[in-house]
Amino acid sequence: MIQSYLTVSILLFCIGIVGVISRRNVFTVFMSIELMLNAANLAFVTFARLHQTMDGHVLALIVMAVAAAEAGLALAVVILLHKHKGQLDTNVFSLLKG
Amino acid sequence: MLTDGLFILFTVFAVTGAAGLVLFKHPMNGAMSFLVTLISLAGLYALLSAKLIFAIQLMVYAGAIMSFIIFVIMFLNIQEEDLPIEEGRFKYLIGGVIIVAPIGLFLSRVIKSFPGADAIITVEGFGEIKEVGLLLFREWLLRFEIVSILLLVSLVGAVVLAGTRRIAK
Repeated sequence: MIQSYLTVSILLFCIGIVGVISRRNVFTVFMSIELMLNAANLAFVTFARLHQTMDGHVLALIVMAVAAAEAGLALAVVILLHKHKGQLDTNVFSLLKG
Repeated sequence: MLTDGLFILFTVFAVTGAAGLVLFKHPMNGAMSFLVTLISLAGLYALLSAKLIFAIQLMVYAGAIMSFIIFVIMFLNIQEEDLPIEEGRFKYLIGGVIIVAPIGLFLSRVIKSFPGADAIITVEGFGEIKEVGLLLFREWLLRFEIVSILLLVSLVGAVVLAGTRRIAK
């Protein structure tokens, strides 16, 4: 039972990595990062069930708060970049390139 | 029996939604597909008897964060021609799968070593609001406060970044 839940977690995390490294739409990349956070949450809750302690639940709550903070900041940056460049391609956002 | 069926159902929905997020071209389709993943993950939390996390996943993640993301996608009014041209998308996807597959195989080999918990019956009040709240405000209080500072910083940052209104000269 624990193994199957962890397998789901691994699958979702790997799909998230594939989305981050192979897509160029900035929204899809952002939501893939959220998907990886969710996979980590599932692993936390699964281990909490395995060890019968609720620290995993608290950690999942904290991860959700971090995801909310990340969503607020990242979408503000996306709006700003869309205003400047008028595109959503991650290859265009190369302001820091030397 | 029922839990096994529900587990398979939620797993199929979660993985299909995640695959849809990666495969769809338009971000709005991807967001809707990701919403399916989030709701089925809430079901998986309920199967793991994490009642508080189940409710918060539905309300905060599927409710608040996803509606915020969808709101921003609609706010930018993305048309087909605004999307980046991704002609070699499937080629990159296959390459990504080939790169990531060894990591996934390694991790699935690692989890074989964990004991199963089929026979474990959850203790009284496991995962309910009172117990998780007691733990949160007793042992995790400092980290809880640090998270509140993080949220404040991100709020200020978002206002500073996106809220500046330049006066036209």
